[in-house]
Amino acid sequence: MSTQTETEIPLRQRVAENPQPALVWAAIGAVLVGVELGAILQVVVAIGGVIVNLVPGDPGAALVTSLQESLKGIPTLVSREFIPNQGYWNGSEWVGTFLGLSPGQAWAVRFVVVYAYAFAVLGWLWDGYKRYRQYYRRADWTPRDDVVNRFRGHTWGQFGLVITIAFVVMAVFAPALGPTTMEQNILQPYDYEINYFDEESQTVETALVGEANIGSGSQGAGDENVAPMTYDDYGRFHPFGTATNGKDLFTQVVFGARISLTIATVAMGIAGIIGLSLAMITAYYKGLADLAIVLASDSIQALPVIMVLILMLVIFQNTWVRDLYDGAVLIILIFSLVYWPFIWRSIRGPAFQVSEQDWIDAAKSFGQTPGQVMRKHMAPYVFSYMLIYASLSLGGIIISVAGLSYLGLGITAPTPEWGRLIADGQQYVASPSWHISLIPGVLITLVVTGLNAFGDGIRDAIDPQADTGDEAAATGGGA
Amino acid sequence: MSRWQYFLRRVLMSIPVVIFGTTITFALIRLGPLDPVSAILGTQYNPQAAEQIRTNLGLNQPLWSQYFDFMYRLFTFQLGQSWVIAPGTTAYELIQVYAPRTIWLGFWSVLIALFVGIPLGFYAGLNPNTLSDYVASFGGIVWRAMPNFWLAIMLVTALSQTGQWTNGFFTWQTWIVKTNVVTPPALGFFQDPIQGFLADPGGWFNSFLKATKQIAPAALVLGSASMGNEMRIGRTAVLETINSNYVETARAKGVSGRSLVWKHIFRNALIPLVPIITGEAFLLLGGSVFVETVFAINGLGWLFFNAAINGDLPLIGTLMYIFILILVGTNILQDFLYTVIDPRVGYEG
Repeated sequence: MSTQTETEIPLRQRVAENPQPALVWAAIGAVLVGVELGAILQVVVAIGGVIVNLVPGDPGAALVTSLQESLKGIPTLVSREFIPNQGYWNGSEWVGTFLGLSPGQAWAVRFVVVYAYAFAVLGWLWDGYKRYRQYYRRADWTPRDDVVNRFRGHTWGQFGLVITIAFVVMAVFAPALGPTTMEQNILQPYDYEINYFDEESQTVETALVGEANIGSGSQGAGDENVAPMTYDDYGRFHPFGTATNGKDLFTQVVFGARISLTIATVAMGIAGIIGLSLAMITAYYKGLADLAIVLASDSIQALPVIMVLILMLVIFQNTWVRDLYDGAVLIILIFSLVYWPFIWRSIRGPAFQVSEQDWIDAAKSFGQTPGQVMRKHMAPYVFSYMLIYASLSLGGIIISVAGLSYLGLGITAPTPEWGRLIADGQQYVASPSWHISLIPGVLITLVVTGLNAFGDGIRDAIDPQADTGDEAAATGGGA
Repeated sequence: MSRWQYFLRRVLMSIPVVIFGTTITFALIRLGPLDPVSAILGTQYNPQAAEQIRTNLGLNQPLWSQYFDFMYRLFTFQLGQSWVIAPGTTAYELIQVYAPRTIWLGFWSVLIALFVGIPLGFYAGLNPNTLSDYVASFGGIVWRAMPNFWLAIMLVTALSQTGQWTNGFFTWQTWIVKTNVVTPPALGFFQDPIQGFLADPGGWFNSFLKATKQIAPAALVLGSASMGNEMRIGRTAVLETINSNYVETARAKGVSGRSLVWKHIFRNALIPLVPIITGEAFLLLGGSVFVETVFAINGLGWLFFNAAINGDLPLIGTLMYIFILILVGTNILQDFLYTVIDPRVGYEG
């Protein structure tokens, strides 16, 4: 497909000949984008703002801020502003919530809308692929179709996919999913005020969020506990209850999902790039290059991963790298340095196989540079093997990060992290405040199970005979 | 190339690996931003003491000479001493005190994982696609996905509450022998096992039981990941061997069911399990940090963790070296087992 021949009609023309399926698809897409336009533009502007920030002198800072302000006016479907749940009881009705529903119901509505929207978008993308395959693709069949079809027959893998998507949606829509915001409830609780209905005086009072938090912590017995799916004394709804310091657990959990998934995917991505490049180099040049990498990777693999992580986090504890994103950047770097040998190992064999193929010789004799040969003729072949290994290792990274945070070494406050939440509630597991430790642990188990199932599905779909996928990789070095 | 030549080559290859791995450790400790001297002195920093430690540790020497000194000492097993968590105590003494608990923990977690994981996996493989297969497989996958530290916390709580939950019908703490849930195992009876056993067999057996019961929950947690792995691999291996031609042949010539399972399926299905079992060394070392922290077992993982957070860099270097030796040793053991179990090894290059 990549080679352009004389007879090939460009995609644009193929669409023009039979526009109806494409138009229907585009129309649905327009609606889906339209209802979220404000949020999408905000993300774009925020990314623009980061880039502008990098330019010395901040020439466009004012512009970015004014743009962000004006964008807040655009109504978006999946947002706290459109379906607000933070209101108060004034004695006869709820004020400030969506349609006057109780905060819990309003939150539930938003939760459902978020997931419905996310799955609608994914369904739309899938529908687009099917339309392309049916109406516009030149080839009736490509090898990738078999992969897709095999995955469609893999129930276990699909189960994993659904779980994985659920957690990715949680991470992406974290700000809209929480019953309250990070800013208000966790980062600056003393900068915000809330209204609440005071039972004794039967009037609406105001309180700082920080004070309200102190009054609604979960520390075991009776009064000092806000259980999952209940309201605290200040009329705030907590889907997962509160943490020991009274901050909303659900908000922390969804932002914890964000950081866990970010670390896992970015670290795996970097490790994958290193592993893939080295696999290309060793398979192309062989000999000494291979020996050197074998030695380096064997040595790194001989180090106990968790111990190295602990050691490096301690060594870098007072440096600026440690403070970037509350330690996430450093953790990502360490994981990529420690994991690339495993990835390289898993694709070294296939890379060697492909380097012996005739088409590589042909490409060389055509005068293509080594870089071109590796990129165009070798890498695509081994990429799927890397995907298998990487998808099976993601769960292990999530567990390791949680474990390190549990020990107090990983992600530091204020960024919420599942492992730290577990440590927070450790001593209350046997008390009414069992939710603090239990829920994050169950979620980790769930997401890791989902990722492993998804990885199994990918493996069976890409290569039913594959023997790759180190079992130990999926378990996070014992954390 | 014969199997033994192949094995010998693997052993020789591991020497540069140990050297390189130790070098990485040295680089981290000495070139990293953490100054060992201020880490040792902590808040009581004063220039004279710092200078004193610098001289004692040889930090005034040029880097290359420090490096060769570091490597030479480790490779001749002059393991140095702790500077922060137990000042003046040699690493030997520390390891002698802490290692037995970790070995005891590791021993039981390997054993529990083996004797639960493999039979379950083989059972699931021999009865594929039945309800019990699904229950066992799914259970194994979820069991494996649970973070060890979290599982440990949950288990500690559950065991501590058994008395209340069952109204005193079953209380873990008083079951068979009286123990606490969160406690290091009492391994005193190992000091002189034969003498102790001959002198007082009942008492010796009692303390053995006690130490085993103390370690059992931690071992169950630490073995959880391996158990799940062994189950999965065991199941696949049995499924593959069952459908292989030689099993078909054996069945056709009338080999009895029992002999078929044990001689033809079981033995061959063990081969892919070898790397899983030896790979446990990684999980056990890494997991020991978490499990020992939760269960308050002061073993090697706990020692390493405390040495690390207190900045006891000299001790960390030594421990790292020991861990590398253990891991490389396990890899060699794995290749040795391969050469013994699987005659095909070595012929493929």
